[in-house]
Amino acid sequence: MSRRLVGTLAVVLALTVAACGKGGDDDSDTAAGGVKTGPGATADTLTLGYLPDLSGVFAPNGKSMMEGAKLYWDAKNEGGGICGRKVELEVQDTGYDPQKAVAAYQQISGDVIGLGLVLGSSITAALLPSVEQDGMFLNFAGWTSDILPNENVAIAGTTYDIEAINAVDFLMREHGIKEGDTIGHLYFEGDYGENALKGSKYAADKHGLKIVEQKITPADTDMTGQVAAFRRAKVKAILFSAAPPQAASLAGIAASQKFDVPIVANGPGWTPQLLDTPAADALAANYYVVSSMAPLGLDADGVKKFLDAYQQTYPKGTPSSNGSLYAYAGAQIADAALTKACEAKNLTRQGVLDALHSLDALDTGGTVAGKLDFSDPSQPPSRLVYIAKVSKDAPGGLEPLGDAQTAADAEDYSF
Amino acid sequence: MSRLPRFALLAAVGVVLAALPIYLESFWLQTGLFAMGAIVAAIGLTLLVGIAGQLSLGHAFFVAVGAYGYAFLAGQDVPDGPAGLGLAPPLALIGAVALAGIAGALFSPISGRVRGIYLGLASIGLVFLGQYILQNATGITGGYEGVAVEPFRLFGFSFSNTDPGDLTILGVPYGRLERLWYVGLVLVAAAVWYGRNLVRSRPGRALAAVRDGEIAAAVMGVDVVRYKAAAFTVSSMYAGLGGVLTALAFGRIVPESFGFLLSVDFLVMIVIGGAGSVGGAAAGAIFVTALPLILNRYSGSLPLLAEPGSGGLGASEFSRFLYGAAIVAVLLFARDGLAGLAHRARRSPEVKERLA
Amino acid sequence: MNQFVTLLVGGLCLGAIYALVALGFVTIFRATGVINFAQGSLLLLGAYVVGRLHESIGFWPAVLAGIAAAATASMLVDVLLIRRIRAADLGTLAILTLGVDILLLTELTREIGTDVISIGAPWGSNVVELAGIRVPASRVIAGVVALFLVAALAAAVKLTDWGVAMRSAAEDGEAASLMGIRLNRVAAGAWALAGALAAVGGVFLTSFPAAGVTGGVGLIALAAIPAVVLGGFDSPEGAVVGGLIIGVVSVLAAGYQDELSFLGRGIGAVAPFVVMLLVLLVRPSGLFGTREVTRV
Repeated sequence: MSRRLVGTLAVVLALTVAACGKGGDDDSDTAAGGVKTGPGATADTLTLGYLPDLSGVFAPNGKSMMEGAKLYWDAKNEGGGICGRKVELEVQDTGYDPQKAVAAYQQISGDVIGLGLVLGSSITAALLPSVEQDGMFLNFAGWTSDILPNENVAIAGTTYDIEAINAVDFLMREHGIKEGDTIGHLYFEGDYGENALKGSKYAADKHGLKIVEQKITPADTDMTGQVAAFRRAKVKAILFSAAPPQAASLAGIAASQKFDVPIVANGPGWTPQLLDTPAADALAANYYVVSSMAPLGLDADGVKKFLDAYQQTYPKGTPSSNGSLYAYAGAQIADAALTKACEAKNLTRQGVLDALHSLDALDTGGTVAGKLDFSDPSQPPSRLVYIAKVSKDAPGGLEPLGDAQTAADAEDYSF
Repeated sequence: MSRLPRFALLAAVGVVLAALPIYLESFWLQTGLFAMGAIVAAIGLTLLVGIAGQLSLGHAFFVAVGAYGYAFLAGQDVPDGPAGLGLAPPLALIGAVALAGIAGALFSPISGRVRGIYLGLASIGLVFLGQYILQNATGITGGYEGVAVEPFRLFGFSFSNTDPGDLTILGVPYGRLERLWYVGLVLVAAAVWYGRNLVRSRPGRALAAVRDGEIAAAVMGVDVVRYKAAAFTVSSMYAGLGGVLTALAFGRIVPESFGFLLSVDFLVMIVIGGAGSVGGAAAGAIFVTALPLILNRYSGSLPLLAEPGSGGLGASEFSRFLYGAAIVAVLLFARDGLAGLAHRARRSPEVKERLA
Repeated sequence: MNQFVTLLVGGLCLGAIYALVALGFVTIFRATGVINFAQGSLLLLGAYVVGRLHESIGFWPAVLAGIAAAATASMLVDVLLIRRIRAADLGTLAILTLGVDILLLTELTREIGTDVISIGAPWGSNVVELAGIRVPASRVIAGVVALFLVAALAAAVKLTDWGVAMRSAAEDGEAASLMGIRLNRVAAGAWALAGALAAVGGVFLTSFPAAGVTGGVGLIALAAIPAVVLGGFDSPEGAVVGGLIIGVVSVLAAGYQDELSFLGRGIGAVAPFVVMLLVLLVRPSGLFGTREVTRV
């Protein structure tokens, strides 16, 4: 009996010793070199938190994103960093599990000046209360407008609903869709698909079009029923807000049924690897992508710089617009905010937020469509998109159709 | 074993647990709170599987009912968003547990008639049905956007960062996590105490009889159908309570947290802990909940694991491996789980004495 | 009307693949009394091996390799793990296979990573026209192969020595072993067979019009569970009927989503489980399962 008591006390003692040393949050607003600093900023480093999914449902995207982030920050650090400070990344895998994400955030929140990347709406939703309380900025690796307005969140580009509005406009301009026609919308349950649906419904209302909805989950990989439903409703085109596996199935089945209609997808609906699948021909014939992330074949300085650096650093890898290029662009935005904050001699979390909101014409060299304006937290920084067609020869499998553009409907749309 | 030293031991443990928020950083408090929610729910499942012998893969459904039930009952109406009744949090907690129990009772037509493995697999259907409802009944659940969880309040004291806004104890600021710690401790203690009593009581033994042989139990006069339904109800109430605690720990809940993987997690917890043992359920819950979070945290210092984002074997994958390996190892070598190991360790000195 | 027939045919073809996967479950259950939750990862293993090898050694040799890999892995699970605790109860054994599934799936998804691996099937994206309905060739082939395998399995179980051994082992293990039947051999054989069936199902699931082998394929076996449950766990006919029903239900539910929209959206994924629950209410052992009749 006494053995047990001793044993328990020993464990308790060990625990107490191990866990000792806790105070309040280290909120030292000390000045270093005339610059006010807060958590995450010292005299020689700036620390950014990165919370991708590296082992769960979105692990492929997450890993690709980390490639892009490292690409940018390694180059930046080689060039001297931001106002003499090296940028360090605190990376934690969320596994797309809100529990893990919350715990991971609790772990790093004291050390970072802001979150350079958070992947996933449900993760971001779970973290926002704490992020807002801690007053730091959050680069949201997603494009849903449901998160707006928000003082702390930065989106790289425009939102899914605006992409969808532009898609409808494109179909009307270039593919003969007119008033009274029916178009289909195949979308994922969740923030991505349902946000895009908002946009397509808005555009349809405005132009007297009818939308046939088909909601699916990422587990649905066979689109036989959905294609049949679209055919029955005699749709003239299909909007697509889901992921590459569903894209291949949709295009393949439609082609096998000789159902020859254009399919216009949001950014996340494409990966170049689809060109290695049996559905490649079907996709090359009818698939378009509307996104504010640049297609890799775009003739723009920023994109070329990214591609060169990527191919040098990861010769065996596959660059992707929604993965590595997105994180690269996100880093560009964070860089701009941090640099401006440093120029204003205020590297506190609030200082960085203020600097972010003072950016009203950020030029990313084309990686994101348009010049980004973060001054209004209720609006995405841009309403411009790139429209691209699938092409077997273009880099990344997408051939850009023109420059960054937007439809009048998209400009008038209010959230 | 005489009562006084045992009582002293429990009191000492209690004091230590109560003092922990003074020393632990927010990561550990957060992890601990998640673990506590899992402990309460796991106790319910171990009662169902270990004592009543009903295999259930639908536990996550009842946890979701508890979590979303509390959010709905205690929450405020959100314009263009999920509705809420705004009840006092303690009432909402009781209501959520009751709702989960009712859900468990409603499942009894199936649980009463369907046997063994069919029941386990049928309960998988519950989880998917639950996911569907959570995503589509946006008026109550907020759909994919999730719903904010109203902080717990008792007699004007709020278990969040406000009301009072500046609480410090022994120089340590007591915010939301620190305060919720005590709610968790109380609920876990109540769950463990009640569970232990249930196992030793008449209903508990009747359930064990049902588990060991339904026909024999029926012959002995046990109303099998009623007891199976009751087992499900009690187990679901535990799950509901665990759900409330988990919801409070999160602050905002989304449907993804309550999917099939969570049900599997609970089964693993009681397998590792030892089915039928309340203490084992707690140990298993701590293992399954905390392991991935801890591995994630220390992935930088452990030699085998690659830094997140560098392409090697990451902490999350390693913890999944460990998880799967633990299940296999426990089932092959220690079928009664950690509880069985502890039991055997405790017994051997006595056996040695007797043989000597 | 034409649409309905197209949907029906599409559903039946998809259901044939589910039937293959369900048949694997049932084979193991009948021979050894275990619910093998690792079927999903075995399916993925088979498809993955084919996907990685078809470019270097050709499609058909790769398929053989995939089948061999899945069959061997499955048999190893039985020999190394299940055999040691064969006497344990159903739940324990099932959870053991769950552990194996987690291990296998974690490693496979780590290997597959970000890739979408094409399965390299020679029938590619060809389409077949039957009585005015266009169906992808891969689906027709899947249906034919599934039918053949089901018939072959049924015949083998009835007519061959091995089949007789398996049936008697399932009915009364003690008596069977007293009669000289090597229970361990029968069990290993059944597990290997289930692995092979899973691999074949995997190849068809990742053929056109699917994109290929991705990390998510391992979860498809979960969709086959309603098929096994509602068909009856120990009945091969039940597995086939269950698979077909589930295939048809999911495709029809998706195809008529507009008409069903009052129930909410996205019903295609949850409909099979609802059907399963309804069937269980009426027939608690599935449509063709052996009913335990006990009256006290």
